[in-house]
Amino acid sequence: MKVDGPLAVLDRWGRAALPGAVLLFFVLLTLAPLRAPFLSNALPLLPALAVFQFSLATPERLPGPLLLVMGILLDLLLGGPGAPVGVSALGFVLIRAAVMANRRYLVGVPFLFQWFGFCLLTLGFVVLVWGFTALWTWTAIDPVPALIQYVVMVVIYPLIGPLLARVRARDPLNVPELSRGTARPGETTS
Amino acid sequence: MAIRDEFEVATGQVRQAVQRFALGLLVIAAFGAMLVGKADTVLVEHARVLALDLASPVLEAIARPVAVANRTIADLKEFASLREENAHLREENARLLAWQTAARRLENENEGLRGLANFREGPEASFITARIVGDSVSAYVRGALLNVGRKVGVAPGQAVVTGEGLAGRIAEVGDNSSRVLFVTDVNSRLPVLIERTRERAILAGDNSTQLRLTLLQSLQGVQRGDRIITSGHGGSFPVGIPVGEVVETNEGHVRVRPFADFSRLEFVRVVDYGVTGLVGGGHTAPSTPSGVAGQRVR
Repeated sequence: MKVDGPLAVLDRWGRAALPGAVLLFFVLLTLAPLRAPFLSNALPLLPALAVFQFSLATPERLPGPLLLVMGILLDLLLGGPGAPVGVSALGFVLIRAAVMANRRYLVGVPFLFQWFGFCLLTLGFVVLVWGFTALWTWTAIDPVPALIQYVVMVVIYPLIGPLLARVRARDPLNVPELSRGTARPGETTS
Repeated sequence: MAIRDEFEVATGQVRQAVQRFALGLLVIAAFGAMLVGKADTVLVEHARVLALDLASPVLEAIARPVAVANRTIADLKEFASLREENAHLREENARLLAWQTAARRLENENEGLRGLANFREGPEASFITARIVGDSVSAYVRGALLNVGRKVGVAPGQAVVTGEGLAGRIAEVGDNSSRVLFVTDVNSRLPVLIERTRERAILAGDNSTQLRLTLLQSLQGVQRGDRIITSGHGGSFPVGIPVGEVVETNEGHVRVRPFADFSRLEFVRVVDYGVTGLVGGGHTAPSTPSGVAGQRVR
């Protein structure tokens, strides 16, 4: 077995850390005082988008415990007094599980299907967070802002989703026959 | 070869089982976090403050370019309406000059009367100017993160004001960061006075852009355009910070539009009033007996 050079090691580490780093950045970006109408309201759903897209592309680089930590961090940073801490974590973990369980319907299908899957899962996420927050604080929270958030996120998904999907490890099947080597279908290089 | 395949199948099954188990564990952990948060609010508070302190340098780095971008957009918008704006400002300036004269006269008169009545002024307020480094605005919270904290004297319960009026109240404080809860947040309850009638009420937020006036003794006295100011009850807020004006009164509902423009906040001032009667929690008792002198003298 060939020993990797330092650059290759760095490359591997960078690849491994990228999804987590992007997710952390999105969690922090949630708090950025962006004053664009609608867009700034939708920011809190960006991490959910990252979770969806990375779970689709490279779930092994975004393990469940990391999602748990990120979700709790998001709740701690974003939440006001009384808001449940950990509901986003629950949502992230469930999104990941749902994507993993339905990979065959989401991977290698036309983009429209992915978008539809994202719509369904994010709706679940929004409803979950809304429901728990309402339950936890025992107040009837107006669902309209949450729905506006959702709609904005669904609309901007085609802009961000494909960009994030580029982290996907190259499947040997997508590589020209000559450079495919001995790799079998389903194997991924990493 | 066959043995090896079987082995692979077996390990695959084990891995699958672990994965399934892992999901359950993660879900339980998330629920656990929620329960802990509900049971031990102090712990969560500490965790929030820690997260805030850790995140605020990063947020500050993000906030600056974002602020520049926001300002550029606002500038471009303003260029379009420069002429009208100018005329409008000139008109307002003339009006304000008249008010200034009136205010000077009243200030003198007030001073004289206070001298006569041997009036004792409340504690002197000092200000801490802060930059907003983060919005904690979502479908469920209305607030912001400031880049000042305990080190410069910020404490929970202090009032946060803008040039226009009251913005909110300090909810959590870290060493170098703090969280403001805006008056529009659903958790915000503020003891206020209706400036014209001096009637007391509670101003409550509901996460929308307008506020709700509750616990009024009677609705009759309230008119559209009435100014709402802080009453100072509870002791942590100075008296008379403008909060908003009544925009709608019908069937027991009084809606108030806040003066502070939350969509373009960049800098705010934290009012250090010396006493911080309300700490954390967020719910203000409307009838704290420690009324401020301004009330009794009347």
